[in-house]
Amino acid sequence: MQLEIHSILPSYFDESKKNLSEVWGKELLIKKGEFIKILAPSGSGKTSLIHFLYGLRKDYTGSILLNERNISSYSPEDWAACRKNNISIVFQDMRLFSKQTVAENIEIKRQLNPYHPAEKIKEMTIRLGIGEKLQSKCETCSYGEQQRVSIIRSLMQPFDFLLMDEPFSHLDDNNSKKAMELIIEESKIRNASIILVNLERVDYFPFSRLLHL
Amino acid sequence: MSLSYKVIKPLLQTVNGKFSRWFSFFGMGLGVLLLLCSIQMFINIQQLLKGKATPKNGFDYIAVTKKVTNETMGQTEKNLFNETDIAGLKAQSFIYDIAPLISTNFELELSGGTILPFRTNLFLEAIRPDFLDTLPPDFNWREGKSMIPIIVSSDFLEVFNVFAPAYGYSQISRETASGIPVVITCYGADGSKEDFSAKIVAFSDRINSTLAPISFIEWANQKFGGQKATHYSRLYIKTKDANNPALLNFLDHKGYEVNKEKTRFGRVKQVMQGIFTGLGLFGLMVVILSLLLFSFYLQLIIAKSKENLQLLLSIGYSPRWLGKQIAGQMVPAYIFIILFALAVTIVLQFVFYHSLMNSRPELSAMVSIYVIAVALLLLLLAILANFKMLRIRLAKLS
Repeated sequence: MQLEIHSILPSYFDESKKNLSEVWGKELLIKKGEFIKILAPSGSGKTSLIHFLYGLRKDYTGSILLNERNISSYSPEDWAACRKNNISIVFQDMRLFSKQTVAENIEIKRQLNPYHPAEKIKEMTIRLGIGEKLQSKCETCSYGEQQRVSIIRSLMQPFDFLLMDEPFSHLDDNNSKKAMELIIEESKIRNASIILVNLERVDYFPFSRLLHL
Repeated sequence: MSLSYKVIKPLLQTVNGKFSRWFSFFGMGLGVLLLLCSIQMFINIQQLLKGKATPKNGFDYIAVTKKVTNETMGQTEKNLFNETDIAGLKAQSFIYDIAPLISTNFELELSGGTILPFRTNLFLEAIRPDFLDTLPPDFNWREGKSMIPIIVSSDFLEVFNVFAPAYGYSQISRETASGIPVVITCYGADGSKEDFSAKIVAFSDRINSTLAPISFIEWANQKFGGQKATHYSRLYIKTKDANNPALLNFLDHKGYEVNKEKTRFGRVKQVMQGIFTGLGLFGLMVVILSLLLFSFYLQLIIAKSKENLQLLLSIGYSPRWLGKQIAGQMVPAYIFIILFALAVTIVLQFVFYHSLMNSRPELSAMVSIYVIAVALLLLLLAILANFKMLRIRLAKLS
């Protein structure tokens, strides 16, 4: 499985954005197993890029091909299958079910295409320091805790690409490192690629390619 | 491991207002019941009328005569149909076929021979066999055959049985009547006479006459009357609907008379079928309205749970699966309502058959297979329509 990006640019961006960017307006090929780090200042379109790759938005020019198929031709059912089997995501805004517990939020994703047994939820939450929060409703968790729930949720399924939009923005260095270790471990088991988009450098991410947005 | 609806159920907000939901259930039940009962009653009427009006192959057969007025009295030519009249009737689109009743043009007499001491003047008529409601295989005659098979109107036997006791005769059944050998004596214009034995082979509910095979009447008219019949006092018309206003207007305009009882019955049939068609349509409308209410109910669930559904879709839940699960919540209610309405229809038909119709043989105590088919079709349509609507709505959210 590979991801091809052909000269894409958000339709609301000026063409001049292509000049300084290593992503906008460029040809990129991302293969399975690659760790890509995209460094981007505010307003450069980080979240837009992640949403384009995940099929949540289509307001761009150029084309994105997943396994040689243009994602603009994907039907809602195609996207459902793709998000269940091939692409997982950690949203910048977490996007959790606030009225559900931590355990329920993760289980909702796990049961969709179980890569791990249910016991793994407890193991991972303990590892990231939110083991005691399993039965707490997400709305009562801090942003940092929610971010870790969101990370664990993304690791419950099989994937070829893991998209992460500022995944550690609410975590301290220690917790970020722990989370990063878990993500890398899980990605390596799947021989999956990570595309991490962040405002600043994340030193503990062993990227194979660094791109400036 | 299959996906469990239980996990996502708390994410779907239910709609307040149990009253409106129960009201929809009640409305749908009532609508389905009305629809099913109307179809059953429609079928009941068809079956009842099939026995009474004896439609053959879905057609009505009605007798037409010319109106005898004071002005035409005594002018036989004016009161009989000729070939031109027949051609005029045949040209009408609502008349599918036409056949004259050919009557004897000579005197003939019926007697009990040596067995029964009675003697009466008689007339015989003949009609094309395809116009007969009952046609026994032995209803034929060829020259040289001394036995004439006869078909008698059921009404004649009824009339006989009414006056028989007053004359000291015993009343007779159809079977006995069929077994009585009689003698028909034909008198020629030249004074000749010939006896034939005859036997009743069938009774007709459609044609009020004493019928002999057409081959006999044509032969006898030529032999005893000296000529072939070219004028006919009665015609039988084959039409799709004896109550067709265009047909009745045409016949009135021509001054022809029809079997009023039959057309009156047809009118009653039309009114009854109209009432039940109206009731059925009303029932269908109620069903559609309640299905719409259910659909609004489901749309309200989607609207209230929009954010959660969007999130489910964005983490990989399929719109098809979600649609199936949400629509599936209504399926037990649909099954219960439609099966309950079907059960009530079955009970009503049973009561109608045994109590109101005294177990008439034309009817059945069980509901028609069409009623069951419509109930199942409704169920399928209700489920599919909801599922499709939800899938479209959810695909728009994703």
